[in-house]
Amino acid sequence: MLARIILERATRFVFLALLGGAAVFFAMHAVPGDPALTALGESANAQTIAEFRSKWNLDEPLPVQFALWIGNVVRGDFGQSISIASGTNISTLLLARLPNTIFIGLYSVAIAVVISLVIGTIAAVRRGKPADTAATAIAAVGISMPDFWIGYLLILAFSIGLGWFPAFGFTPPGVSILGALHSGFLPAFAIAAPMAALFARNLRSSLVDIANRDHVLVARSFGFGETFIFVHNIFRNALIPYITVIGLQVRYLLGGTVVIERIFGVPGIGALMVDGAFGRDYPVVQACALVFLFIVLCVNELVDIVCNRLNPRTR
Amino acid sequence: MASHITITRRNALQLFAGSAALPFMKVGAAAAADQALTAAVTGYTVVNTFDPGQATQISENYIIWGVFNSLLKFNAKMEIVPDLAENFKVVDPTTLEFKLRRNVKFHDGNEMTADDVKFTLERLMDEKFASPNRAKLASIEAVNIIDPYTVSIVTKTPFAPLLAYLTNTRTGTQIVSRKAVEALGADFAAKPVGTGAYKIKEWQSGIGAELEAFDDYFGGAPKVKRISVPLIAEDASGMTALLAGQVHLTATVPFADVASLEQRNDVTVYKQSGMNTRYVSLNTRKAPFDDPAFRRALSMAFDRDAIVKAVVFGEGVPTAGLLPPTLTAPGTQELPALATYDPERARAELAKSKYGVGTEGTVLILGNWMRRIGELFVAQVNQTLGLKLKPEVMDGNALFARLRSGDFDAALWGWTGLIDQDEYLGDILGKDASRNYQGYHNEQFQSLIEKGRTELDFAKRQEIYQQAEAVMLEDMPVIPCFCSNIQNLSVKNLEGFEQFPYGNYGDQFANLELR
Repeated sequence: MLARIILERATRFVFLALLGGAAVFFAMHAVPGDPALTALGESANAQTIAEFRSKWNLDEPLPVQFALWIGNVVRGDFGQSISIASGTNISTLLLARLPNTIFIGLYSVAIAVVISLVIGTIAAVRRGKPADTAATAIAAVGISMPDFWIGYLLILAFSIGLGWFPAFGFTPPGVSILGALHSGFLPAFAIAAPMAALFARNLRSSLVDIANRDHVLVARSFGFGETFIFVHNIFRNALIPYITVIGLQVRYLLGGTVVIERIFGVPGIGALMVDGAFGRDYPVVQACALVFLFIVLCVNELVDIVCNRLNPRTR
Repeated sequence: MASHITITRRNALQLFAGSAALPFMKVGAAAAADQALTAAVTGYTVVNTFDPGQATQISENYIIWGVFNSLLKFNAKMEIVPDLAENFKVVDPTTLEFKLRRNVKFHDGNEMTADDVKFTLERLMDEKFASPNRAKLASIEAVNIIDPYTVSIVTKTPFAPLLAYLTNTRTGTQIVSRKAVEALGADFAAKPVGTGAYKIKEWQSGIGAELEAFDDYFGGAPKVKRISVPLIAEDASGMTALLAGQVHLTATVPFADVASLEQRNDVTVYKQSGMNTRYVSLNTRKAPFDDPAFRRALSMAFDRDAIVKAVVFGEGVPTAGLLPPTLTAPGTQELPALATYDPERARAELAKSKYGVGTEGTVLILGNWMRRIGELFVAQVNQTLGLKLKPEVMDGNALFARLRSGDFDAALWGWTGLIDQDEYLGDILGKDASRNYQGYHNEQFQSLIEKGRTELDFAKRQEIYQQAEAVMLEDMPVIPCFCSNIQNLSVKNLEGFEQFPYGNYGDQFANLELR
């Protein structure tokens, strides 16, 4: 039984990864432009361009290029950058940058969770009171502001104004954890702010909804204290939709890192992907997209597992 | 949370070890006392090579200029002065002779001699090396070693731009070490060996470079021992990083912020009219831009002053031709009628055209700050002449690909950092020239630029280009718009940076000092 579930999931995982890989590959090659123009510059002649195209198999028909690429990827070889870091192995670029993106991603989720737990709970418990109105208003502002705008506001206030955090650059966690927590705070916060607002709103409405359910009424009739009821009967049940929303947000979070990494100079996968896209560095963009896809699929599985654990009925 | 920041013996060591490894990633400003500073390359993240012969991006040149020297260089007045050459003389109209500086060391300790100069130039001219600058040296017939410190360059015909092409600019003629190139092969691109004041100590693709002072530099050991050169994608991020104290010097400043930065007393803004050109390229092979009268009508149908004010916030000047004011003869900056907004004349000119009111066409526009130029141009031309031109916005790579393949009607385009008149008029409008996407050809214009190439007398040469621009304006294969200022930004206590109109950068690193 368990083996069958695992097999089913693994098959779906591989199928989605392949489908995603094909989508990224053909979408990228459908965009007008030419990596040779970035790599060789404005005065490259036709012959030099032809040599470049042949060197990187760009003169093959698209399906052949796709087969060559996916074949290498399956063997764990992402190839080399062709126009933005000429000749560098893409796996080297990914390995250097992935920890930074994952760190910023986890950091921003952690910030969003802490903020949303506090704001969401206060709003639900003090429903209809000034504290609720204030918390809901803050959440509305957080959802409405684009992350790059928040980014520039944070730089203005906390870097240029107060001088607490750097405006640009990032100390990788492999170099210094404290340095990463410090230099990564503003980018993580910029990504976290809209997420925190969304999580808080979601948590508040689940808490309010569950507080009105029959089982809470029953618990109250047994004479349990309000705090006990909140923790055991309300909060616990509200966690499942809350965690599902967090899981769903991960893909938007990855979208956020693409913009925010560029603004704050975090050398991550998102920034690499943007550079790759502007330079038409097809293999780099494709590799980054696959990594993102892989992360999203993993998080989806993880959310499923956690929700199953939290819900006794599915155990 | 607690487990996150638990300091074990292992990561405690990392905390301290890490802070020295990558100074430009270090939090907070680098202290002046340890003679390190941060000079950001802003607006770019791509660096593929540090080999001057292969470099194509401005970002690559910014760093290369500090790692290499050329035979000659420009000074702030844009005069050509000796650098690795001690002096030079014109032996006859086709022969230049260079006496080299003695005791110049490459970073690998070898001495720079005439052999390296010959090697560098012949490498650039070698078809197999496929240098993007090969065409610039096509007029060279031979590079002769007279003695270890004397080189002569013989050209097929007198070639006026040659001296400019031998300077430390974007022309790829920085002198490389023959021994290092032969020993390193393809690795030379990432581990360049030059004669410059700085060597590349560390390079991280897409992130930045760490430069280290070359103590045997022939100009004397630089004052600043280490320079971090982070690549910062957005001009605005470079500016905020400087204001937050993490960067001491930037390569660009957003046009919109120049005025407010000039009001501050904690930064220095360096600016002047730059060597660049912005124009609308017209595909003269395709309707409706195959009609000179139609093209002339467009040129008089929009207000260049308004565009300079609205898009670059006054940080530029409208131009009468392709040449930037720094390269034109004095008195030619005044706009002729053909390049001046005049709705009446524009409509009269359109009446002479075989295309009239309601003519359609597409104008390709870059999606960066130039987007607004294109949108304003299209809107105003449509309004003045009753045309139905449409803007189409795309990124640089896509637009460039369309231009090169001839698959366009009109496109807003430009070049920056070109140093010789021939790079503007000859390359952009010459017969089958590398930047002539317009498909333009005019015998009279062609003979003028060919004459300009061989005229060694400076004043006469300027007169020739003045005539060439007048011919070009009658044909209007490109609609000249304006030339923008170039800007750098530094912290107040940084001294020694001197800005040149072509947008120099790394060549100034040797003179920098924090006070």
